Amino acid sequence: MTTYAMGIDFGSTTAKTIILDGDGTVVASCIESMGAVSDEGVKASIAGALSQVGITQQDVGFTVTTGYGRRMLDVSQKSYTEITCHARGAVALVPNARLVIDIGGQDSKVIAVDSNGLVETFAMNDRCAAGTGKFLEVLARAVDIKLPEMGPLAMQATKSLKISSMCATFAETEVISLLAEGNGKADVLGAVHAAIAARTAGLVGRVGKRTPIVMTGGVAKNVAAVHHIETAVGQKLVLPPDPQIAGALGAALFALDEIRMAAKRSRVIDEEDRDVNSAMDTARACGPACKSTGTSTAAGQGTEIVVAPPSTAVI
Amino acid sequence: MQSIDTPAPPNVMPPAKKTANRLAATKVGGQIVHDYWSDLFNAKDDGRKVVWYNGTYIPPMFQTMDLAWVHGEAWSAYLAAKHGELPAQKAGEDRGYVRELCSYARTHIGSALLDLRAAVDKAAVDPTDARALTTSKLPPPDMLVNAYPYCSSGQQWDQQIFRLFGKKIPIFNLSIPLLWGGRADAGYLRGSEWEERSKYVARQLRELAAFLEEHTGRKFEYDRLSEVMSYIKKSAELRMEAMDLCTAKPSPASYFDWIVSIAHVNFLPGTQRIVDYFELVKAEIQERIAQGVGAVPNEKYRLFFDGMMNWNKIGWLAEKFAAVNASVVAGRYTHMSFWQEPQLIDLADPIMGMAQNYLICPNNHGAPIMIGEIDRVCDKFDIDGVVLHASRTCRGMTNSQFQIADSAKKHGRQAMTFEGDVVDESFYKDELLNTRLEAMLESMDSRRNYFAKSA
Amino acid sequence: MEQLISRFEQAAQHPLEGARQWKAETGRRVIGSFPMHFPGELAHAAGALPLLLQEGDEPITAGLSSMFPFYCGYTRSIVDQAMKGEYDFLDAIMFGDHCVQLLGAADAIRCNRPETRILFNQLISSMNAPWAMEQARETFRQLQRELEEVIGTAITAESLTASIKIFNRNRVLIRRLYDMRRAGKLALSSAQLQHIVKSSMVMDKETHTALLEQLLDEIAAKPAPRVGGVPIYLSGHLCQPPKLALLDLIENCGAVVVGDDLYHGYRYIASDVEETGDPIEALAAWYLTRNRKVPCPTRSDAGADWDAFLVQAVNKCKAQGVIILMAKFCEPHMYYYPEIKEAFEKHGISHLLVETEHESMPLEQFKTRIETFLEIIKRRAAA
Repeated sequence: MTTYAMGIDFGSTTAKTIILDGDGTVVASCIESMGAVSDEGVKASIAGALSQVGITQQDVGFTVTTGYGRRMLDVSQKSYTEITCHARGAVALVPNARLVIDIGGQDSKVIAVDSNGLVETFAMNDRCAAGTGKFLEVLARAVDIKLPEMGPLAMQATKSLKISSMCATFAETEVISLLAEGNGKADVLGAVHAAIAARTAGLVGRVGKRTPIVMTGGVAKNVAAVHHIETAVGQKLVLPPDPQIAGALGAALFALDEIRMAAKRSRVIDEEDRDVNSAMDTARACGPACKSTGTSTAAGQGTEIVVAPPSTAVI
Repeated sequence: MQSIDTPAPPNVMPPAKKTANRLAATKVGGQIVHDYWSDLFNAKDDGRKVVWYNGTYIPPMFQTMDLAWVHGEAWSAYLAAKHGELPAQKAGEDRGYVRELCSYARTHIGSALLDLRAAVDKAAVDPTDARALTTSKLPPPDMLVNAYPYCSSGQQWDQQIFRLFGKKIPIFNLSIPLLWGGRADAGYLRGSEWEERSKYVARQLRELAAFLEEHTGRKFEYDRLSEVMSYIKKSAELRMEAMDLCTAKPSPASYFDWIVSIAHVNFLPGTQRIVDYFELVKAEIQERIAQGVGAVPNEKYRLFFDGMMNWNKIGWLAEKFAAVNASVVAGRYTHMSFWQEPQLIDLADPIMGMAQNYLICPNNHGAPIMIGEIDRVCDKFDIDGVVLHASRTCRGMTNSQFQIADSAKKHGRQAMTFEGDVVDESFYKDELLNTRLEAMLESMDSRRNYFAKSA
Repeated sequence: MEQLISRFEQAAQHPLEGARQWKAETGRRVIGSFPMHFPGELAHAAGALPLLLQEGDEPITAGLSSMFPFYCGYTRSIVDQAMKGEYDFLDAIMFGDHCVQLLGAADAIRCNRPETRILFNQLISSMNAPWAMEQARETFRQLQRELEEVIGTAITAESLTASIKIFNRNRVLIRRLYDMRRAGKLALSSAQLQHIVKSSMVMDKETHTALLEQLLDEIAAKPAPRVGGVPIYLSGHLCQPPKLALLDLIENCGAVVVGDDLYHGYRYIASDVEETGDPIEALAAWYLTRNRKVPCPTRSDAGADWDAFLVQAVNKCKAQGVIILMAKFCEPHMYYYPEIKEAFEKHGISHLLVETEHESMPLEQFKTRIETFLEIIKRRAAA
């Protein structure tokens, strides 16, 4: 039987669940939209992921949660901040990444990571819409187009306009003025994306630019945002295929750590028991030929010794 | 590739626009500024020592010693005009300077950060980086002097520069205390507080002379100071006279003409050339009055501009007001902030008069006296309305603006505020300015119609 | 001990009420003061209660018509309180600092409440000037004259020296609490310690000292060692106290505060005044030297390095990280911060910048950042 590790990112606009098997392979991934901050979306996300594997919550060995709602979930056995989880998840997706740019619905963050995916330092904007997905949402409304259309249309900009206000509310006014002056939507959207890139570059500057840079979060799917950030930061971004799940993936990896550590602890206990038993056996043995340990106790580098631990979770 | 207005370099006339009718003399003035910068960039080659300073107009002290000098604010504005302030501001932000800080200081310190090595060691400059090339022209400081009335950030700015240079450059702080005006005998240019503070600043100026002597190995010749001050005093007088002529209607010159001649009374050397320039300005204004020509061709409203000047928006603002037939006749920064009491200077012994002119920075008075003086200027020029620029990062100039607006209204003048900044565009709220300006003019119109009807 | 703490809390949370009551009971004068370098000793020597004006908890309403929103919360709050008439009972407000926003606030108060007497005497801020001592002395002499005139009592050298001794004693006692905290022997939360320091700023000093003595006895009688957590140093907030909810949050996330340079903290109590010789001279010397003890970024002082001070302080307290509390729009702090950041990076000191505001307190977001910060520290400590 396999024990699964579950990571849940209870975000403000979407809930994401990832399930890993014992080898760390992703076997389920489910993203659901959140309505208000309720748990309907997250419940759907969890249920969706479980059904992809055809298991129930009981089959999950450990669950780690992250995101704003991380403490609201009963299934949560441990929680880490989304900064920690995004970093871990991003490095899992892009192993040599040193900087993570994550732009979500409500906040944006830049995280410097070490080779293990652990956070060294970070900078965030979580107090206002500037540089977040919300900024794009507000301005999409002002330009009267749907959010998914923004990126491609912005890439068609030919004129370099400028939106100088960082504030989404005032930027909205600027957008309306620019349109009223006869500028095309594509050009205006180009300026909008340049603005969000400027804000992001500011955060990168604060943390200190390192490469390679991975971009995660919903806005990573916006081609114009990526393009403008690359220009502003002077570096190509590495885009994992599924950028939104980095947080949940990181959480799931932490959950897998817990499972492995628990297994290791019980292995050690078991080995100690075996040593004691074998010592006793040796003491009782008629001769060396009668000694039988059953398994090799020497654990070399990288040798996985699989023993059935007394606990319920089985690897 | 930008489609916004190219920021106009300070003190140089922006390209000719449709409606604003700018003084021709400005071109002459622009040349003098240009020559100042060229001369400064050659300072090291000439073997002159260089003072970096911030604050009030103390260059006569440096000129007396044949030093070269750089005003930090002016340098920031110069850089911003030539290359845009963004790279320097970004460098500042990367280091950790929060955007709510005086954007001048951020630009200047940011620029210094970028080019500290280049300023000291020209070999370190990347020849393909235009901005670095410009900045590497700036000679590094041999001395630092801070003479900032009123604003604590102004003093701290140079303290940070001092620290940036490893605390190795000799620094002199001239304390210009606030004239609170709380004593019973307090008033503009009078009272015991005025007397005491004047003596204190005068005494420090003599200490500054000693400091300059110490670090140049030369003597401070007070005769030479008198000579320099004779040009400055004459220039200041001519400038005030020319400004006073703008009580005429239509006003022959506007705030935007006076803005471009601030350098000449702020940090340019006191020479005959400056005197000649202001003679030219005055003559042109007299000519315009004779011909009935106004700075704004169809002047319907006369305005006062309060607050800090936003250097990268001069042209934009000039057009905006001209387009609605509003002539910005006077302003706090132009009319009340540079050698505006030249008669205090006794050329035989100019130190006291200089000290007093430094003290009377309008912000350096408590609000009641400053507001009294603003009202006086508005009365003199028969102002209809006051436009207040609330510069986000310059709180030295936004202090008491609510009270200034209140006072304007009490005197029957309209008042409107718009949000902007000294040199950081992201704080601008353009639409607000447009809307509020329209609203103010509509109020003025309806008041006039009302009074016309009841006449 | 709970009762004692709540007395400190009561005084700290209701400073104006307490002062009004004191005035009604004693019939004496109350002299308000702006932070942070003005000695309360002078007013005390004339028999008045020196009251350090505090940021209020109320949202700013009346103050909106006089101060722009891009000023720090402290200045906007005091203007707001003044305009609501909260300072009308004060006999005068004394003030001598030079932060440009405070100057704006003082003028706003003066214009809106002309009956409120403001005694403004600006202290020199270039501490290295050869005339600094002489100027500081003159400023305090002038203040003394003005206080005597307002209060109607002469301030003699004896009475001033007596007041200095009382204030010194109070500082000494609070410093004992700080020593205990650093040694891990103080079971008081940061919020509670803030009540103790803040109440000293607004209460009758001798009453406060008596309470402190009681507190120290009780702590000595039943010492309660500090509960474990990540040792953290708090830096910043030069004029107003950090919000209590934020202090609680920091501790609830798993940190324990072992030191600070907050104004409502070590900064207020770090330096004593010389008790011998001419007291005005002593106050002037105190003003000039206290900047070396805990550097203030508004002073221009080549001998004071706030960044070096912090590195030293952090090591002395054995803190594993620093949370920098920066009041939004505080220019002096914003100017100096990059150097502090660099110094911390150079010395490998983990640090987190938290920008605080008067109005909104997004506790959830703060929690995320602080938790992450503590996660980082714990991992580094384990490595």
